[in-house]
Amino acid sequence: MTVELLSNYYYYLKEKKAEGKKIIAHMAHDNLPEELIDAAGFVPLNMIFAGNDELMNSSHDYLPPSTCSFAQSCIGLFSEKPNNFNFLELIDYFIVSNHCVSDICASEIITKYFSIPRLNFYMSYTLSENALKYYELELKDLKNQLEKIKGSEIKEENLNESIKRYNNFKKKLLEVNNLEIKGKTKLEIFQKAMLYGPDFLPELDTIIQNSQPQRSNNLKELILTGCSIFINDYLIDLIEESGGNIVFFDTWIGDNYFSQIFDDAILNSKENPYDLLLYRYRNNVGGDHMVPEYLENKVTKLEKIFQNYKKKTGKPLGVINHIIKFCDHISINSAFLKEKLQEKKIPILNLERDYSRANRGQLSTRIEAFIEMM
Amino acid sequence: MIVCGIDIGSLQTKLALMSAKELIDYRTERSTFNFKKIGHNLFDDILEKNNLKRADVYVMSTGYGRNSIDIADDRITEITAHAKGAQYFYPEAHSVIDIGGQDSKAIVISKKTGNVIDFQMNDKCAAGTGRFLEVMAHALEIPIEEIGELALNSKKPASISSTCTVFAESEVISLFARGASKIDIAAGIHKSIARRVAGMAKRIGVGQTLVFCGGVAKNIAVKKYLEIELGYEIVTPKYPQLTGAIGAALIGQDNMKK
Repeated sequence: MTVELLSNYYYYLKEKKAEGKKIIAHMAHDNLPEELIDAAGFVPLNMIFAGNDELMNSSHDYLPPSTCSFAQSCIGLFSEKPNNFNFLELIDYFIVSNHCVSDICASEIITKYFSIPRLNFYMSYTLSENALKYYELELKDLKNQLEKIKGSEIKEENLNESIKRYNNFKKKLLEVNNLEIKGKTKLEIFQKAMLYGPDFLPELDTIIQNSQPQRSNNLKELILTGCSIFINDYLIDLIEESGGNIVFFDTWIGDNYFSQIFDDAILNSKENPYDLLLYRYRNNVGGDHMVPEYLENKVTKLEKIFQNYKKKTGKPLGVINHIIKFCDHISINSAFLKEKLQEKKIPILNLERDYSRANRGQLSTRIEAFIEMM
Repeated sequence: MIVCGIDIGSLQTKLALMSAKELIDYRTERSTFNFKKIGHNLFDDILEKNNLKRADVYVMSTGYGRNSIDIADDRITEITAHAKGAQYFYPEAHSVIDIGGQDSKAIVISKKTGNVIDFQMNDKCAAGTGRFLEVMAHALEIPIEEIGELALNSKKPASISSTCTVFAESEVISLFARGASKIDIAAGIHKSIARRVAGMAKRIGVGQTLVFCGGVAKNIAVKKYLEIELGYEIVTPKYPQLTGAIGAALIGQDNMKK
């Protein structure tokens, strides 16, 4: 599936370039307004690709091995230029941001050493009045940077239109989330959707219409939290081979992305589209790095998902907290998350790993043992 | 019905042949790169010596190579198997530390149900495993069977700060060059393993009765330093290496009753 997906994506982006559109890449980011890029007439490219041993090793010319494995892999992609990733050559600009250490490491290095012009978008990850003002200023600054490339103004009506387009797209992904299909199938839809954005809407409609329930009676049902499972990662296969089925993706590729939607009432109540983007930032309390009380919010959310599912199906869910090695934010908080969920009798496995193939056997043992424990 | 638990570890393959709660026979042999072959050879041998046919025995596999062996009727992870095996030797067992050839594990067992309620495994590196001990014994030119006894004679264990096997080996050579005694270096190596494993075990709240099993449990110095790090006595079963195989056999028996 992956080879075909990446190959088709190359032709999709090439077509967009032929239409005169610029390709703006960014590390997956829960507060970066894709709608602004879309409204400028450009194409946002989410860096949501998993790594492997070769990519991680190749990145060590630029950064130490004790850096987030995802950051290592992103740099490895630009350094190694694997065959299936030739669409990376089509990138016109790369957004440098401070979403996390991985974001700073990878985006700074990619722009510096692989000669991709940079755009900047920084934020403060709190919800104080100062932070809100700063976010608003950064939105305007990103708008100015995009307008400079475009050579003309980004009209508010266009931005409003993009916000609506993305909103409909995310609502549709919420529908997919409620389908009774296997975790792997669901994940592949989310991954593809996040590459193509709202252009994927017609395909989403078809998927929803033709969807048949996939029974997974022998599998233990799980929530995935922590780091996303990116494209080309074997982890989802390993989970299913080990007897698990992810029914809820509490990750950026998943609920953390498509739950950021506007009610129609809100959408129609604000004339200024920047107020809408600010409103979304203000309400992103469960965002991956939003402090203070990130963990408290995370525990509350997971408990709610657990209780709702139990009420609906009578079955308990287990939580896999996926920790990409040296993702300090997720890793440091994992002990607290485990303690709090265990207090609430919610089974949790902190699954730390990098993209190496060498630990596949050990990962499988951990997942299987967790499922046996459940 | 007789059940055979086959525990295929990265360094050692262990078989336990059981009838009800009785251990009838067992085998242990170095694992080769061909997990399937070693498992088959030992299984054929144990059947022959006990006048049994394949159809007389239910086979439960566990360990790193549990999926490689096609004679298994079912499979279970070594985490669950060790928890069950530890309770065979010590029914009151609350926790398990298993240090094998390639990895180390800490397991907490529910007193109420006897099931695993939490576990932790070491990372993919060899620090805190039997392999670490082997590399260090080789660097010190001491047979692996003797290194534990020797370490216990130390009055001043050397400090080994590296947790990586490769760096620790360099550190050992450098300590040697600076005139540290083999005995003190050996003690430092054992202390280093114990510190690492105890740290991992403490994170999941292990407690007494703590059963120490796996091949490394035969090493008395690792046991002593683990007790120092944990602050209480730990127990070692009669056959520490067989705990996983026995646990797998017992789970096999439970499966058959269902």
